[in-house]
Amino acid sequence: MGALVIEERQHREWSQPAEALVGLARVRFAGPLTAATASTLRARVRQALVSGEAGLVVDLQAVTALDAAGIAALLDARRSLRAQAGGTLVLRANGIVCRALKESGTISAFALSSGTGM
Amino acid sequence: MNAVEPQGASAPAEHGIVISRGLRVYLRTMVPADLQHFAAWVDDPFLERMVGSEFLHSYKHVWDKAPAFYEAILNDPTQVALMIEAYQGWTKPVGVVRLFNIHLLEGYAFLETILTDMRAMKRGFGIEAGKLISYYGVDVLGLRRLEAKVYEYNVLSMNSLRRNGFRQEGVLRQAGYDGERYWDLVIFGILKEEIEAVRRRDKVYLPLDPSEGNGREPS
Repeated sequence: MGALVIEERQHREWSQPAEALVGLARVRFAGPLTAATASTLRARVRQALVSGEAGLVVDLQAVTALDAAGIAALLDARRSLRAQAGGTLVLRANGIVCRALKESGTISAFALSSGTGM
Repeated sequence: MNAVEPQGASAPAEHGIVISRGLRVYLRTMVPADLQHFAAWVDDPFLERMVGSEFLHSYKHVWDKAPAFYEAILNDPTQVALMIEAYQGWTKPVGVVRLFNIHLLEGYAFLETILTDMRAMKRGFGIEAGKLISYYGVDVLGLRRLEAKVYEYNVLSMNSLRRNGFRQEGVLRQAGYDGERYWDLVIFGILKEEIEAVRRRDKVYLPLDPSEGNGREPS
């Protein structure tokens, strides 16, 4: 899953809801977001903060598993970004992610985007 | 936009990813091959009596030892289960430790430590595994309180919890059943500040002290 292909989709499939996300940095995760991998998300958020990117859209539509460690990383990301002026975190979730957020009781903590473009 | 493949997602996963290291043991993520260990552990009557683990019970009686149990655990957002591996002289995991009923927003969870090899007991493995996952709960999951339940006759587990700074908080009278009679369950708890105090105290792990307690405290 190369970044170029994703960039191309961004132009072709940009949807109305996603237009509201213009100006936010975007990152896409694929595979399991679990105890074994959540540090990658944390590192990416740190990088965003260092770069002055207070708004981040995290595309989780290719995520294949999400456990408590992954959700904790998302909650941390939300906290860190919202501590910045104008900071925000928006998730693009698939069914696996939505189910995990619901079962963990955390779904109300996140802003979810229904846009198809990324 | 950047596309990020989480670390470990494409790496060989047959040995798991090491999450935390202590002096005696380390904790790693589960892999499908661990189910063969679970299959043996769930038939151990000693474990059943001492721990009464819902985790192992579920693997045997709900999942019927099916391979899908692994995926179910991997996708369970309310628990983190890690395998306990000892450093020297051990060819297979000595147990499993987990945080379950994790409430991320409220900041609390329950702790279960299962040592499955008799030879691994009284070596400090369980204490260290509990300590490591407690730190993980605070540092990574953002938890501020952990709880554990112990059968009143499991003095070893009670003393292990006390050594890790847990306090007895109450007794659930005759809440456990071992197939023959009812037993009290003793409730232990620890707060984030107390976990931090243990971490400061144990900056360098010391040899095991003599047992500090002797079973449950008077109610």
